[in-house]
Amino acid sequence: MISVLSTTPISPVSPITNVLPLSLVLLVSLVKEAFEDWKRFQNDTSINSTPIDVLQGQRWESIPWKKLQVGDLVRVKQDGFFPADLLFLASTNPDGVCYIETANLDGETNLKIRKALERTWDYLAPEKAAEFKGEIQCEQPNNSLYTFTGNLIMEKQTLPLSPNQLLLRGCSLRNTEYIVGAVIFTGHETKVMMNSMNVPSKRSTLERKLDKLILALFGCLFSMCLIGAIGSGVFINRKYYYLGFFGDVEPQFNPDNRFVVAILTMFTLITLYSTIIPISLYVSIEMIKFIQSTQFINKDLNMYHAESNTPALARTSNLNEELGQVEYIFSDKTGTLTRNLMEFFKCSIGGEIYGTGITEIERGRAERSGLKVDEGKSPTTAVHEKGFNFDDPRLMHGAWKNERDPEICKEFFRCLALCHTVLPEGDESPEKIMYQAASPDEAALVTAAKNLGFFFYRRTPTTVMIRESHVEKMGKIQEVAYEILNVLEFNSTRKRQSVVCRYPNGRLVLYCKGADTVIYERLGDGNHDMKRLTREHLEQFGSAGLRTLCLAYRELNTELYEKWNEKFIQAKSSLRDREKKLDEVAELIEKDLVLIGCTAIEDKLQEGVPACIETLSRAGIKIWVLTGDKIETAINIAYACNLINNDMKQFIISSETNAIREAEDRGDTVEIARVIRHSVKQDLNRCLEEAQQYLRTISGTKLALIIDGKCLMYALDPNLRANLLNLSLNCSSVVCCRVSPLQKAQVTSLVKKGARKITLSIGDGANDVSMIQAAHVGVGISGLEGMQAVMASDFAIAQFRFLTDLLLVHGRWSYLRLCKVITYFFYKNLTFTLTQFWFTFQTGFSGQRFYDDWFQSLYNVIFTALPVIIVGLFDKDVSASLSKKYPELYREGIRNMFFKWRVVAVWAFFSVYQSLIFYYFTTAASQAGHNSSGKIFGLWDVSTMAFTCVVVTVNLRLLMACNSVTRWHHLSIWGSILAWFVFIFIYSGIMTPYDRQENLFFVIYVLMSTFYFYLALLLIPVAALLGDFLYQGFQRWFYPYDYEIVQEIHKNDPEDSSRIELLEVANHLTPDEARSYAISQLPREKSKHTGFAFDSPGYESFFASQQGVFAPQKAWDVARRASMRSQQRKPRT
Amino acid sequence: MKAPIYIYYELDNYYQNHRRFVKSRNDKQLLYGLKYKDTSSCKPEESSNGLPIVPCGLIAWSLFNDSYAFVRDRGEMNVNRKNIAWKSDREHKFGKHVYPFNFQNGTLIGGGKLDPSIPLSDQEDLIVWMRTAALPTFRKLYGIIEEDIDADEIITVHLVNNYNTYSFGGKKKIVLTTSNWLGGKNGFLGMAYIAIGTSFVLISVLFALIHVKYPRPRGDPTYLSWNRKSNAS
Repeated sequence: MISVLSTTPISPVSPITNVLPLSLVLLVSLVKEAFEDWKRFQNDTSINSTPIDVLQGQRWESIPWKKLQVGDLVRVKQDGFFPADLLFLASTNPDGVCYIETANLDGETNLKIRKALERTWDYLAPEKAAEFKGEIQCEQPNNSLYTFTGNLIMEKQTLPLSPNQLLLRGCSLRNTEYIVGAVIFTGHETKVMMNSMNVPSKRSTLERKLDKLILALFGCLFSMCLIGAIGSGVFINRKYYYLGFFGDVEPQFNPDNRFVVAILTMFTLITLYSTIIPISLYVSIEMIKFIQSTQFINKDLNMYHAESNTPALARTSNLNEELGQVEYIFSDKTGTLTRNLMEFFKCSIGGEIYGTGITEIERGRAERSGLKVDEGKSPTTAVHEKGFNFDDPRLMHGAWKNERDPEICKEFFRCLALCHTVLPEGDESPEKIMYQAASPDEAALVTAAKNLGFFFYRRTPTTVMIRESHVEKMGKIQEVAYEILNVLEFNSTRKRQSVVCRYPNGRLVLYCKGADTVIYERLGDGNHDMKRLTREHLEQFGSAGLRTLCLAYRELNTELYEKWNEKFIQAKSSLRDREKKLDEVAELIEKDLVLIGCTAIEDKLQEGVPACIETLSRAGIKIWVLTGDKIETAINIAYACNLINNDMKQFIISSETNAIREAEDRGDTVEIARVIRHSVKQDLNRCLEEAQQYLRTISGTKLALIIDGKCLMYALDPNLRANLLNLSLNCSSVVCCRVSPLQKAQVTSLVKKGARKITLSIGDGANDVSMIQAAHVGVGISGLEGMQAVMASDFAIAQFRFLTDLLLVHGRWSYLRLCKVITYFFYKNLTFTLTQFWFTFQTGFSGQRFYDDWFQSLYNVIFTALPVIIVGLFDKDVSASLSKKYPELYREGIRNMFFKWRVVAVWAFFSVYQSLIFYYFTTAASQAGHNSSGKIFGLWDVSTMAFTCVVVTVNLRLLMACNSVTRWHHLSIWGSILAWFVFIFIYSGIMTPYDRQENLFFVIYVLMSTFYFYLALLLIPVAALLGDFLYQGFQRWFYPYDYEIVQEIHKNDPEDSSRIELLEVANHLTPDEARSYAISQLPREKSKHTGFAFDSPGYESFFASQQGVFAPQKAWDVARRASMRSQQRKPRT
Repeated sequence: MKAPIYIYYELDNYYQNHRRFVKSRNDKQLLYGLKYKDTSSCKPEESSNGLPIVPCGLIAWSLFNDSYAFVRDRGEMNVNRKNIAWKSDREHKFGKHVYPFNFQNGTLIGGGKLDPSIPLSDQEDLIVWMRTAALPTFRKLYGIIEEDIDADEIITVHLVNNYNTYSFGGKKKIVLTTSNWLGGKNGFLGMAYIAIGTSFVLISVLFALIHVKYPRPRGDPTYLSWNRKSNAS
């Protein structure tokens, strides 16, 4: 708009100089956007053109994904991803079963079974499939991953469809050669896509705040223009005859119509003062961020994961500084905090603990209490494989026979080897066998049994084959076939699993494993000692962050069993409430159990997670865990990660209460909803009350909230939302379990919108995508699972622990740098424009420009652009290692200490002060002054002098603002000042051939031939910076920022030079002590009256003697150098 | 006062820096004369009676035309009106072969007239006038007295008051001053130097006092905000 205005005759500046910088700015940002779009486009095409087999005629033909249409029959091969939501028709497996992995949806790596309808099993071969005719009626596309209703109408038969026949996009096929399916939903209608919300374009809060600042600047601009306009209306008068108010006076200066004069002058002034709006700011910021992300974040070796060869990746460069202000982290569990790797870690058999490992949490605890942890593991005996990280010479290699009670050990191992639903796969040798289990825990337990000498290698529908070694005698191996009579399966209400098996010798045993609570309820009498011991062990394991299971068995006699089995068969074949009846029957036999012991499985955390979480919480960041897992698992992990400990007051809001369960049993959905809502409401209010009590009375008690998905659904209700938010913000850690991807996003946006805090989501699977998109900053773990999370994220890192570096180092630096850049931009443009503004008062408000057009337009582009970018790139207050050593420094970012209105106001105040100095000092100094041959300066001489002072001062002010000074700083700052001089030498040295006013011809030579110029150039920057100097001194002395203290503590530390060489720090900011010492060391300025001018021999002579060279020295440098010398002296003496 | 003594006239409330005024000139015409036709920037003093004006524009039109004569006992002093403009202006901005044309021939006379036989590059009054001043109060060099003036000597100034400053209430002043190698007397700069120098001294005392009165050990961890807070609670 300003450019358009500038082309009209009312403009005081020529259009080209106004349009040029703007178009430059636009061009740069266009190029950047185009580049990022191009990358995104390439990515999309590569996914869209993944081939998939589609039935065409009677053959499978490979077409790209994007051509897939609803109703196509597709073939998906093993390990392939489903390209759309498919109706499962047939599979190569018998029974029309296929296994899918849903890691991308919910993060669970265990396989899920899908079963096709019996009627469609045959449509496997292309010829047969081509005959498939049917009509599918189904619900509208929706986002619920776990529900689906529809009908398949084939040959006038209506077959009901359930989620069991649905293969969702994003899942992959496992253990099945191939399947055939009909496409139901494609593209954006698939359930995964429905779950992912619209990709919001993210802008950092700092930028949003910047917009406000720009708005304020606009306000400032308009008020300045208004003042000028009113002034011009008042000023214009025929009495100034020399202004030529005769004949046809153009409306802008026609004294007969003051109102029009004011209006037009308003527009003139808008163009004149348009420099107050830093157009190049956005481009500079983008450039800075772009380089920060590509050069610093992407190339940080501290965030490089060598094992997987993944460096950190900043996918957008918009959010760097947002990383420096994160207050809430929402973390997924599986794959993010944990490796999703279950390892058999410890066990307790017959009241005796086995296993020598130490969990990370125990290690952390020990380290905190100052104990050195002995890492002396004997690597020779330890067998370590996936799922097994156990070492105890008392059990390994058959040594258990020498234990106090070998019989119970044997039962323990058999229970491990028999009581499960694992499928062995591959070669039947201990090394090569693969276990396919519904949960990785089971696989870990079976692997443990294998390593302890009970190798489960084959399953038939009725038997389990175990190769038992070391049973009778060392080295002897026998293969035993156990007949599995019944399997009482695991479900979440039972929390246990049993098998009834018959030994080859006819012995009937029921093996049971399950949660301690349910097992203990069902134990027979006797052996209290062992129960007590085992319970102690369970607690010990639990607090060490291990997942525990209790093992028990029961000897059965044939008679009892037969009787029970009848009931069981009856229940199994019942048509109504089968599940419920089976549970009831199971109750009958799962009693009077004999406790064997318990197992402890480590849900292997990612490397360095507890330490990282500890650091982050010291940095004032609150971490919430949002997981699809069960409540127990979630709490367990929270313990393991040190998010929850026993000192915390825990509030658990769970749907697993009796009242809710009863309501669910009644089956009335409306009733269920009512009951749950009621109980959630009650729970919330109760917790809130308690929480407030805790916060009021006992300080130091931390609170933790654990809530499950079902409750969350109601708690997120608009009525209860405020309560939930209030409660959760009071808690130092929050765990949400059993949450759907959408709920994750809802929780995230609850905090984002409700609490107006900066949030970060981190996750690795497709189930985290919506959460990643909802948060201010989304971080994806670029791990083993699919790339969806990374694709949706803003930053991708290989490991959770790299968050420390990402946030505390890069985020903090980016934040500090950008704050500095923005405030500095604000300052330099305001200062510059204000000098112009003061001039307006003395030109009869005519809108005459003080500076030449080219000065004005190149000011932002050349004379002051580079140094601030350099600061934006290289400034650092404390080194990376110190940032991590003092995580508390991060809180300054959370509190937004460096971009508050107060900070901006301070800058604004000093820019007003400086602009006044510039304007009045230069004009006053030149008004009565003339050179040695009596000649007087004109307007353009004065303005060039003022501009020189502005350029020098503004650049030096930057030097004062930066925390570290590298040679790049020097290069850019002195380079910019030099650039100005070079420019003015050339610019005022030539006459341009085209038509323009040669205002500046020879100006600089005129100026430089007079002595005033040098005197003023020396005085004005010093005077202008005096205010800032004082302020900084006082601020540092009385209200130091944390980082300044840390700088002082580590002032004498040698800089860690392992960092990038570019970032080397020349010196730290000098503390006040040294500074005031330096000032007191300055030679007292004595002014000697020489008749017409004052000469101050202070600076130059002092430095000429010190340095042997002349350089325009500023007070700042003087103080700095002097203090450096004093500092250097100190360590020596 | 020793020669050379510079004579300045000073005007105030005179907005030579008014936008309408500043842009009402044409540098190309000043250099090339009538050959250069595009003089639209000179409005409203672009042409008169259908003929172009050289030098055009309001600035030239309002040329200052008071004249001064300095008389001492011994007779009139010699005022040198040459070499009062910047050399660069004389040589590069005002044409050596450009003569005033049709100047001050309009109905309204703004100020001084020019001798049409002297090229612009030698019309130093005009050159001085046309280097527009930065502020509404400004001095311009009138001439140079190349005789010493003794102390207590009485000098009579005969001035011809041609230039109209009454309409806008401006004042005129005459300033006589000398100069040395540094330049003319510049009270402001001197005062500023003293002020800034003094404030530096004061600041150093102030900082020293602060040091004694409110000592803050360097790098004291208790000043870290998180430590401070825990102390407070």
